Amino acid sequence: MAQLTPAEIEVAKKFDLTSKIIPFLDRHLIYPLIENLDLTYDEKTIKDLSYNLLKDTYMNKFINDLNPDKEISQDVLKKQKEIEAKSEVLEAETKETLNLLSKKEVQEQLKSDKNHNRRYLESQHGITENKIHALYEYGQIQYNKGDYVMASDLLANFRILSTNNELNVSSTWGRLACEILLLEWNNALEELSKLRELIDSRTSFNDPLLQLYNRTWVIHWSLFPYFKTANGLETLCDLFFSSSYLSTIQASCPWVLRYLVVAVISNNSKKLKDLVRVTAQESYQYADPFTNLIKALYLDFDFAQASQHLNDCEVILKTDFFLNNEDENLPLISKKFITNAKKLIIQVYVKCYGRISLEALSETLNLTKQELKDLISSLDLKNATLDDEKLIINHTSTKIYQQVSDKVKSLGYKSNQLLENFAK
Amino acid sequence: MSRFFASGYSDSDLSSSDEELLSTSEEELINSSTDEQEEEQDNDESSDSVFATEEESDDSSDDDYGARARGPSYFLKSSFAKNNYSDEDSESEGEGKKVVKSSKDKLLDEMRSLVDKIEIRRDVKEWIGLLTEFDKLNKLLTKARQQNLGIPRLYISMIAELDSTISEISNEEIKGLKADSSRAFNTTKQRTRRFVKEHAAEIEQYRANPEAFEKELDEQSEENTPKPSKALIDELITSLRTIQETRGKKNVDRDEQIATLEELVQDAKGNDFHSILVYLMLIPLRFESSSLVQSMPIDQWTKAKNEIIALLNILEKVRNEYVVTELATATDELGQEPEADKNGVKHILGSVTALVERLDDELTKSLQSTDPHATEYVDRLKDQSTVYQLLLANQLYLESIIEPAAYSQKEGEQLARVVLKRLENLYYKPTKLIIISEKVGWSKLTNKQSLIYPKFEESDNELEYCNGLINHLSSLLYKQTNSIFRKKAMLCQIYYYSFNDQYYKARDMFLMSHLQSTIHTSDIPLQVLFNRALVQLGLCAFRAGLLTESQQILQEICTSQKQKELLGQGSNQRQQPASQIDKQRLVPFHMHINLELLDCVYLTASLLLEIPQIIQQSSGRKASNKLQATKSFRRTLDYYNRQVFIGPPESTKDYIMRAASSLQAGKWEQAINFISSINIWSLFNNATGIKEMLYEKFQTEGLRSYIFANIFFYEKLSVKQLASLFKLPEAKVLAVVSKMIYNDEISASLDQFNQSIDLSKDYELSKLHELALSLADRCQQLAERNERLASGGHQSQSSNVKDQKKIYSK
Repeated sequence: MAQLTPAEIEVAKKFDLTSKIIPFLDRHLIYPLIENLDLTYDEKTIKDLSYNLLKDTYMNKFINDLNPDKEISQDVLKKQKEIEAKSEVLEAETKETLNLLSKKEVQEQLKSDKNHNRRYLESQHGITENKIHALYEYGQIQYNKGDYVMASDLLANFRILSTNNELNVSSTWGRLACEILLLEWNNALEELSKLRELIDSRTSFNDPLLQLYNRTWVIHWSLFPYFKTANGLETLCDLFFSSSYLSTIQASCPWVLRYLVVAVISNNSKKLKDLVRVTAQESYQYADPFTNLIKALYLDFDFAQASQHLNDCEVILKTDFFLNNEDENLPLISKKFITNAKKLIIQVYVKCYGRISLEALSETLNLTKQELKDLISSLDLKNATLDDEKLIINHTSTKIYQQVSDKVKSLGYKSNQLLENFAK
Repeated sequence: MSRFFASGYSDSDLSSSDEELLSTSEEELINSSTDEQEEEQDNDESSDSVFATEEESDDSSDDDYGARARGPSYFLKSSFAKNNYSDEDSESEGEGKKVVKSSKDKLLDEMRSLVDKIEIRRDVKEWIGLLTEFDKLNKLLTKARQQNLGIPRLYISMIAELDSTISEISNEEIKGLKADSSRAFNTTKQRTRRFVKEHAAEIEQYRANPEAFEKELDEQSEENTPKPSKALIDELITSLRTIQETRGKKNVDRDEQIATLEELVQDAKGNDFHSILVYLMLIPLRFESSSLVQSMPIDQWTKAKNEIIALLNILEKVRNEYVVTELATATDELGQEPEADKNGVKHILGSVTALVERLDDELTKSLQSTDPHATEYVDRLKDQSTVYQLLLANQLYLESIIEPAAYSQKEGEQLARVVLKRLENLYYKPTKLIIISEKVGWSKLTNKQSLIYPKFEESDNELEYCNGLINHLSSLLYKQTNSIFRKKAMLCQIYYYSFNDQYYKARDMFLMSHLQSTIHTSDIPLQVLFNRALVQLGLCAFRAGLLTESQQILQEICTSQKQKELLGQGSNQRQQPASQIDKQRLVPFHMHINLELLDCVYLTASLLLEIPQIIQQSSGRKASNKLQATKSFRRTLDYYNRQVFIGPPESTKDYIMRAASSLQAGKWEQAINFISSINIWSLFNNATGIKEMLYEKFQTEGLRSYIFANIFFYEKLSVKQLASLFKLPEAKVLAVVSKMIYNDEISASLDQFNQSIDLSKDYELSKLHELALSLADRCQQLAERNERLASGGHQSQSSNVKDQKKIYSK
């Protein structure tokens, strides 16, 4: 990827969200984020960061690679041995259980009722509570070692058997992390929806604070799969604009608004009005080029400012982990965002102006005339005439009859729907 | 040794008693000059000798009682002391004799004659007669006790003799008695035994050496024992008990009791336990004595204050030995020391917190009844810093005796009360004043530190320090189980943040608190606090330039007829004199919110929001329904515009109304001139900043009004022209106009080539059009409301949830 100019690096550093996001992620999930900082920070910083990040995990080889110069201390070696020993023990313990579960006749006996399964396994095959718990522990160790496939598998098996609610939630978190790290986005989405079910059900949390934390985690973790899947951004909008998650964002992590802005704009979502409202509300505690763009365009009507912010956005789109999506199978989010944002600016511009000089506009928007023309023609404007110099729009306000009929058109349908709902 | 005399001073020791009296009178002088520290040192010097003399009083001559006359003759004593403290011993003795002729001497004479009679009857073993005399004597004894005389020595000796006589009598003799006299004998015997049992020590002393008991040995006085003897303690306890028994009863001379206790303070010097006990009784009594008057007399207040300081000093000193707490169990006997806990600390039942609280309340009461414009008010206000010092000292003391883990428990409640008082002393002040109060507060508490929030260091940022202080104090209160603490803390915090221009914090807290839904069920002081916080928030929004918010927040209170009552700043109903309770609810003057300023802010905000709307409506365009029209403002404006002759503006309201009509006429500069010539803005900290903010607002609102007003008269408006007319940069004009176009407020379009605004004349609404449109709007609203109702109003609830979360995440 192209190198950034010092000014751009400055912008990128200023609006870097990594440090804000890190507290809400798992160690392993942070690693890709740090790796992604290579454009803004030098190699050594990143290496140090990753070493510090991972030194408490069990990925020994990987850690040593990161840090070839330093001696491995005795403590670390000792710890590594302990882990080895422990995982061997656990492996033996869990092997039996796993073998058993893979047997056909056992699978046939298992039903959806967990308690029944437990009784069955315990009486017939001697699988006790402890053995099930070993699955969980072993899964944890495997995860820490970096063997995400194994870990995911173990945790899935654990979840089938365990009746412990708390551990079930945390094993779901574990699986989600594994799937994200394995880049298995569809599985990750599946896990995510399971988690949401668990978290949003009223019964699972007595403490609203805990629920808030869990929602905050969901919001951050969900950024991984949503930005990598085809329809992810739509789902992201739906999720983040649902009232409980929106208030979570406002309460504990306003910086997520950046991703919301990107999602809404690049997706041409209909939630633009809501987005404007939210960004305006939160402008006192969070601002970055993305929210500023919205503010400049829809609150201050300052088009020059808006395009200025758009330039900054471009830099961030290059450096932000979630936004610099280079997956070829997917339409590039950053490109989509930039085009759409420009279109939005023109739309607002056109709504306000009747006679527009293309030259002036192309200057403000930092486009060539041809690009601008293309954009304008793609907007498919009514009553507009476009020539080389100017764009003229004939603003005719709708007739009163039209206005009144527009207003009442949907009322009948809506009322009917309401009645139907009541009848249900 | 006789307890009775123990309370008095013998002839030989009058010099020292004089000294003591001297110190008392000095104390009064000191008190009136509000210097509190000296008194103690003064007394410390004399205390040793005082104790010595108390032990040695031996003569049973009448003179003694007078030297330390109590009760009704207290005033005599003080005048006597003042006149004579420099006199020779003999003279003061002579004076003493005059003073002596009191009811007590009569009482003692009576007792003496009774004792004589009893002795005679005892010798002849005439039991029935003896019992009647004995009963009489006992009655007199109770009387004597009520007058704090203790148990006379002669009584003890009589009992001792009687006891020995009784035990000498053989069974045969008893059997030989007649039935009624045997009964009398038995009763006497029981009573005697009981007394002997209770006062074994004195009896023992008497038996061991009857002579010495009556005549004090001189050597004893020279030993200078630092601790008072047991007899003295008993006497002290007895006095305390007598006072305790009469607590809350009618027809008790409280002043007399206070005087007695003041004396006892001296007696108890050196014994911490007793000092604590005496103070714990004296200070409440002082407060009680003034419960009937509107506010506590200043001299009493100062005395109480000094006594609390003394008490705190003692408690500080003996922290490892005694602790005064509200949760201690009461001991059965008043003088009995409570059992020590595992750390060897003895818990005494009592509450310094309550005393300090009361002291603060009394100060408030006194402020309420003082004319706020007189110099007395300011003088009185100075006492606040001492109260603050006390609050702080008390807080530190409680912190030292309560574990941090127990702050949210029942134990922590007393701490919470102090902290709340402290918060209430701070919240209405700007940061600078808070820093000053903090500095003064800590000045007497050098080399101490608070666990809750450290003291102010010069290196600290003032604003940060204050924010931290308020936050930490409040967060302690949030942990309390009692919701009143939480509510008050919340409101104080909101008030503080609003007052110090931290609008968003204050607003978020206000929304999160959800107090608005329950506040009407709270008691009145809390509602007043709520209103005060709300109004302050509105003012803060105004200062931050958020006019819409400000106007909405202030609307309810500003348009109310009962503005003064709502803010606890007096009553509007002149015909009905306010009751005592109503008066007590009022906020002291120095905490008032300026009502004129409030009105001014509200009207200015309304002006800027309303005028463009009014013009828009009058020009025939549909008005946006976004803003609810403020009827009161429009009414006033209508009334003002209808006036035939308009004089030069006098009141704030006049100025604002003139500004409003100027703005209506498109003369925005005239309008801003009217507004900025209102003097009251200077009450805000950054008056110039606010005027600048208002200037900008008038520019844009003036522009909007101008466009609304002239939309039908022009085809095109030049942006340049508008910019020069409103002294705005062209970009700003474009932005404002763009916004109006985008929001469908006007139908127009901008022309980039000519730099002009093209106003379209597509339609002018006929009456029918207008009605049809508004009908359609109404229908839409109705449908929306139905939908909202059908969905169960979840929208509003979910926002509640968010707010709650915000609180928890803090």
